[in-house]
Amino acid sequence: MIALTHVSKGYNRGKVKAVEDLTLDVKPGEIFGFLGPNGAGKTTTIKMIVGLLRSDAGRITVEGFDVATESLRAKQVTTYVPDYPAVYERLTGLEYLNFIGDVYGVPKAERLDRIGKWLEIFELASVVTNPIQSYSHGMKQKIVLTAALLPAPRVMVLDEPLVGLDPRAAHQIKEMFREHCDQGKTLFFSTHIMEVAEKLCDRIGIIHKGRLVACGTMEELKRIDRTEAGQSLEEIFLELTDK
Amino acid sequence: MSGRSGSRLRTLAAVVKAGLRSNFGLATLKHRLFKEKKDRWLVPLIGLAAVGVVPMFYGIVLLIENVYLVLRPMGQERALLSFGLLAGQLLVLLFGVYYVIAAFYFSRDLEFLIPLPLRPAEVMTSKFVVIVINEYLTVAAVVLPVVITLGVMARGGAGYWVNAVLVYLALPVIPLALVALAVVAMMRFINISRKKDALILVGSLLLIGLSIAVQIGLRRSAGVDGGPGASAAAVAAFFTSPDSLLNKVGAIFPPGIWATKAIAGGFSGEGLANLALLLGVTIALFAAMVVLAEKLFYRGLVGLAETTGRKRRLTRAEMSRRVSSGRRAGAAIFWREWKIMNRTPIFLLNGVLVSVFLPAVFILMATIDTGGKASGRGGDPMALLKALASANPLVAILAAALFMTICGSINGTASSTFSREGAQFWISRVIPVAPREQAAAKFLHSYLVAMLGVVTAGIVAAFFLHLEAAALIPAAGLSLVAGVLLAAVGMMIDLARPLLDWTNPQKAIKQNLNVLLALVADVGILTIAFFVVKALVKSKLAMGPVLGILFAGLAALSAASYAALLKFADKRYPEIES
Repeated sequence: MIALTHVSKGYNRGKVKAVEDLTLDVKPGEIFGFLGPNGAGKTTTIKMIVGLLRSDAGRITVEGFDVATESLRAKQVTTYVPDYPAVYERLTGLEYLNFIGDVYGVPKAERLDRIGKWLEIFELASVVTNPIQSYSHGMKQKIVLTAALLPAPRVMVLDEPLVGLDPRAAHQIKEMFREHCDQGKTLFFSTHIMEVAEKLCDRIGIIHKGRLVACGTMEELKRIDRTEAGQSLEEIFLELTDK
Repeated sequence: MSGRSGSRLRTLAAVVKAGLRSNFGLATLKHRLFKEKKDRWLVPLIGLAAVGVVPMFYGIVLLIENVYLVLRPMGQERALLSFGLLAGQLLVLLFGVYYVIAAFYFSRDLEFLIPLPLRPAEVMTSKFVVIVINEYLTVAAVVLPVVITLGVMARGGAGYWVNAVLVYLALPVIPLALVALAVVAMMRFINISRKKDALILVGSLLLIGLSIAVQIGLRRSAGVDGGPGASAAAVAAFFTSPDSLLNKVGAIFPPGIWATKAIAGGFSGEGLANLALLLGVTIALFAAMVVLAEKLFYRGLVGLAETTGRKRRLTRAEMSRRVSSGRRAGAAIFWREWKIMNRTPIFLLNGVLVSVFLPAVFILMATIDTGGKASGRGGDPMALLKALASANPLVAILAAALFMTICGSINGTASSTFSREGAQFWISRVIPVAPREQAAAKFLHSYLVAMLGVVTAGIVAAFFLHLEAAALIPAAGLSLVAGVLLAAVGMMIDLARPLLDWTNPQKAIKQNLNVLLALVADVGILTIAFFVVKALVKSKLAMGPVLGILFAGLAALSAASYAALLKFADKRYPEIES
């Protein structure tokens, strides 16, 4: 599970407030969708969860481990997919996967099974010995996703994971999300695709100007007292972020 | 000027301006210094480094003055000017190969520039201008002391100074355009091959070899270098002969002599004619480069981003063989460093191969100075070194240790180790491996590259300088422990301010300020070691204790610096926001 308690983060010595007093709980077995307009604080929040940014205030725990004081233990149970697949271009896909397997300590038998499975699903099996440099954007995204799945982590944190994927891969990823959480694991992802969030997520959080303006299941979001009557997530999102 | 060509010029100016801003990171620097208020500590440090080099420049100016006073009565003072200008041009020729290949073919901004409505020649010109401006800074250190000192001493008139400015502006263009022509042609050929990276490497080595050969050819042609190899009589005979040094040099690389005559001649007929010749050839070569760029630049370029691998599905057995059975995390990080460094031509050239080049270039230069006659004459530098080694074994050991240490540590592998990760640094931040363990793996990699330099330098010392094992072993021991200290210091400097937002790998290693700062730190450490040894010798200690104390001191400092590096990694990693 992921827990954020009164988390704040600013840039330029606090002059720009990216995230303000964010409190959020993502439960085990839950797919949590994190929505917000550009610059709302989604990526900053995600980077704080995975330890790429330090919060100015508040506390973040992953599976009970404080990401600031028990960072290695938190990292051991978490994998992350960034919004842009910046990976080691001079390594082959397989070398990169081996690297990730080594640093997360994945045993060989499990490594073989998982690599084989995801390379087939993502149609990367025939290029896995080529340098990543030669991959298309979508292929790079798939190799990063495969690497994130390789340790079978308790928690996955993904920043717009569906960008750049073809429809087949996007479909398979969504199935993987469900499968992952059905095993009692946690998935936190940001997206701009309302339809995906609406259909896939157990709960949704909407962040606007650094503040969490709504959080709950689709049914709970629909019950929010609003001036307009629309019931789709898109309509709810547009109204809540139109300030 | 027609409206259309005026608009093209404006476009070119805009691309050049963007290139300069991006290359020198002015906007980022301004933001970091004044908005984020980071890196402010660098300002006094750079100021201090600038003050530190003042005595060195003063020494150079004094040397130039003295040489001038010797050459003046013989009417050969222009030779000094010629050497300064030529040294500047050769420097550009040698390093230009790195710069041109990196900027023309490995900048990531090309991905954004190529789709823009720009001609290939405009894109290449913008890159070329950035390199030329970079080279003005490099050349300044070599050329300006000579030109200014001579101008002041010879009371050069307005013609001298005006022409000097024009020559200075034109100076890097000819060698860089020559390099660019060769590189663009080479890349067009390489692009048809599947093994592009290997060919880029071989091509770069050939071009570097060629520029070294030109330099050696020049020195041989000059026949005299004023160094210890030249007897006073030979120098006098050479300078008073009608076949002067100036003309000999000019016969090999004419732009050097044109530049000299243009400055020294001022507004006289000779001065203006040579200035016109220099500027004319500069413009002609630049134009040739533009024409070639228009035809070949994109053809050499586009293929670089293409897929190099074939599609082939691994069998289950093959996959099983190639899937690692589980390395330790530290080993995995070491191999990642190793593979990325060796597979990125710019990193390999500037990091690993420099360690091998440096001793090789040293020995080439030393041999060439004697015209290939390696022994016999009293003025022979080899013979001098050998005589020195037998006369004072301590000096021989320390000189060899210094040589090995410099060859091992000057390559910038350690001081760019974090910067080289660039946009991929997020991976190091999210993996469950302690920063100290990551730093230790990176240290091992940097240290092994340094050892490559030490070993090559050791081989040079043993086979070319005929240094005996009794001297070689303690020298190697000293450079091995000093290597730990210098690698750890270099890594700490890079960790303090890693340059992660580069788009051109050249910026991560060759144009990385951290590499320069580490070099300054290395010089400082070696200077302190020199004074310590001097004090020990003065206190009448025998050779054994002097070496023992030096070794123990360096070993203690090395252990302390390594421990400090690991501690600093634990502190610094979480602070680096990527």
